[in-house]
Amino acid sequence: MVFVTGIGIISAIGKNVSETLSSLLEGRTGIGKINHLQTIHKNNYVVGEVNHSLQELESLAGLKNSNYNRTTLLSLLATREALTSAGIKNVSTYRTGFISASSVGGMCHTELLYKDFLEHKSHKNFIDTHYTGVHATDVVKHFGIIDYVTTISTACSSAANAIMLGARLINNNILDRVVVGGTDALCKFTFNGFNTLMILDKEWCKPFDDNRKGLNLGEGAAYLVLESERVVKAENKKTIAILSGYGNANDAYHQTASSPDGQGAYAAIQKALAIANLSPNKIDYVNTHGTGTANNDLSEATAMKNIFKKNIPPFSSTKAFTGHTLAAAASIEAVIAILSIQHKTIFPNLNCITPMQDTKLFPVTSLQKNIEINHVLSNSFGFGGNCSSLIFSKN
Amino acid sequence: MAMYINGTGCISHQNTIDVADFFENGKIICQSMLSAQEPDYKDYVPANMLRRMSHIIKMGVAAAKISLQHAEIENVDAIITGTGLGCFEDTDKFLKSIIENNEQLLTPTSFIQSTHNTVAGQIALLIKCHNYNFTYTQQGLSFESALVDAAMFLNENKNSNILVGGLDEAIQPYFELLVKAGHIKKCEDIITEIEKNKTKGFCLGEGASFFVLSNQKNKTTKAQIKGVKTVTSIKGNEDLQNKLIAFLDELGLSANDVSLVLSGNSGDVEDDKTLNESNKFLFSKTHIAYFKNLCGDYFTASAFALWLASAIIEKQRIPKALLQEYSSKQGLKNILIINQYRNTEYSFMCVSSC
Repeated sequence: MVFVTGIGIISAIGKNVSETLSSLLEGRTGIGKINHLQTIHKNNYVVGEVNHSLQELESLAGLKNSNYNRTTLLSLLATREALTSAGIKNVSTYRTGFISASSVGGMCHTELLYKDFLEHKSHKNFIDTHYTGVHATDVVKHFGIIDYVTTISTACSSAANAIMLGARLINNNILDRVVVGGTDALCKFTFNGFNTLMILDKEWCKPFDDNRKGLNLGEGAAYLVLESERVVKAENKKTIAILSGYGNANDAYHQTASSPDGQGAYAAIQKALAIANLSPNKIDYVNTHGTGTANNDLSEATAMKNIFKKNIPPFSSTKAFTGHTLAAAASIEAVIAILSIQHKTIFPNLNCITPMQDTKLFPVTSLQKNIEINHVLSNSFGFGGNCSSLIFSKN
Repeated sequence: MAMYINGTGCISHQNTIDVADFFENGKIICQSMLSAQEPDYKDYVPANMLRRMSHIIKMGVAAAKISLQHAEIENVDAIITGTGLGCFEDTDKFLKSIIENNEQLLTPTSFIQSTHNTVAGQIALLIKCHNYNFTYTQQGLSFESALVDAAMFLNENKNSNILVGGLDEAIQPYFELLVKAGHIKKCEDIITEIEKNKTKGFCLGEGASFFVLSNQKNKTTKAQIKGVKTVTSIKGNEDLQNKLIAFLDELGLSANDVSLVLSGNSGDVEDDKTLNESNKFLFSKTHIAYFKNLCGDYFTASAFALWLASAIIEKQRIPKALLQEYSSKQGLKNILIINQYRNTEYSFMCVSSC
């Protein structure tokens, strides 16, 4: 069995777990006007930015002249909170690993210097920090983690795969504990990419609403500390949840679009249920991928209908709080799923008013308290057909 | 737990597509960027898909298809890739168009093909594979991360065939960035014996190497991977030696059991120092060959080395371009690949006969 013993998060709705929880309880979205991202589209779109400059993030991390980019600093801050909340002071007591996820890594820095490079002006070296895995190298160096490090980049499902890999490394007796999650900083590259696909909503996104127009991009990082049963027993540790199931499948339908019948999503959920040894009716809440695009929400809703038949559990997308944080999304939502279990609360799917015509499914749109949540399903899907599902269970 | 190599496909700077040839004409060319010799991609990918594909996608998809053909299978239970750089041609293209057009009137094709998992996704699409699909990117450990996952997957799923690949592309803007950063060896400094370099810098290479791995041995089996290990920090050559001894020990082997070492010297005098010292102490009586003067240095060059090791074990022959003379009574049983990236990330792989 794999236990979650620590969580850390930074996103548009807060720089730590307690701020995140308050925002969720108070229904306060982090999506708003663009402040930090340098783009000509600044006044026409809303995004979920972490409300701190690079310098502020660096000082939050207690660093000076680190040369770390936004992706790395977000990762470092969330990792630090996760390790602290798990009560880990010495990372070398057990075989400890770090599995991260990111879609664009150092792009937030590269794109600022690329013009000078193209015009043969710049002599600054940015290629060495461009690579997507560099943040992980920097973070493990900072915390002294040496037993295993890698980064997964499967677009918007990346962090789910990092969490899944961490659990498997423990189950295969390669590691005793592992910090798992993802990080992504907003950048012009991604923003313009999604804009060309015409799947950005200029207003607040409306996941699962019949009139949904697209997604809002966000940024952030979140990490979980996973520990083996052996370590938990030996250390007499307080655990906060169990990672009971995980599944990965490929939609193999289109490079960017999800299949209308949600075949990949269905397969990923099925696999996660099988690993957790749960029947669908045991799921008390689904934290959906729910991006707010016409395509994703229909595909995901169809997959849910096929899995749960007539008994669809309460579900919501929390992306209207945080924005779509891409490679970090699954770990940010994993933290939210765990908060749901801990606080017996289902956080609402903001901005959804009209049920989807095609499926008639309707999410939870107001805060639901005092709900016994034993098992939460969390979905994440991405470009390249990557589909992943995780199941978190009460201790 | 055994990981059998039942099929391989490799596109590299050498002619690695024609397996019968096996480096008869392999040679070391002294240039700063070593581009891949490419096959006629129409043999492997439908023309309508091929049109949109960038360089790395073509190399990856073709190498994957070749390995499936050699393994005589059409589909797999998992697709796992590793790439340090990802799809840089498309990334560069989209970034340029953002800058040149000031964020206006952009087209999405290069953006949607810029994600690291594009190749794994395209392979899944091509062979209609709905199974497990992962992409790793950890600089010099990207391919090894995929192999560590592969070993777990084969442990978790009996009777499985999985496709594992390492791939990176060398394209002009990337090369220029590396030159500016001072990483590329000057032309006049390039020598054929890579381990004897006295200067800084490496020669950039590229390639895609794919493997069909299985927990079942069959008639197409070429070799087996006995072990793979990644190391994220090294404190000097003694530490490297100790880690190598521990790695071999875990496999029930000692340095004397190693028939051949494939050493991942990059040609950079400083980055190779630790590796050379360790090789000298630990493998003074063992044949050591160097592979990066054949394929160039890139994040997933170790996947080329694995392809090479698998072919050497299968054919029981070492190409002259790799090693001039070889003598052993026992035959080629265990090949140890020791790779390094900038003297920070190290990896070990042991490939054995079966």
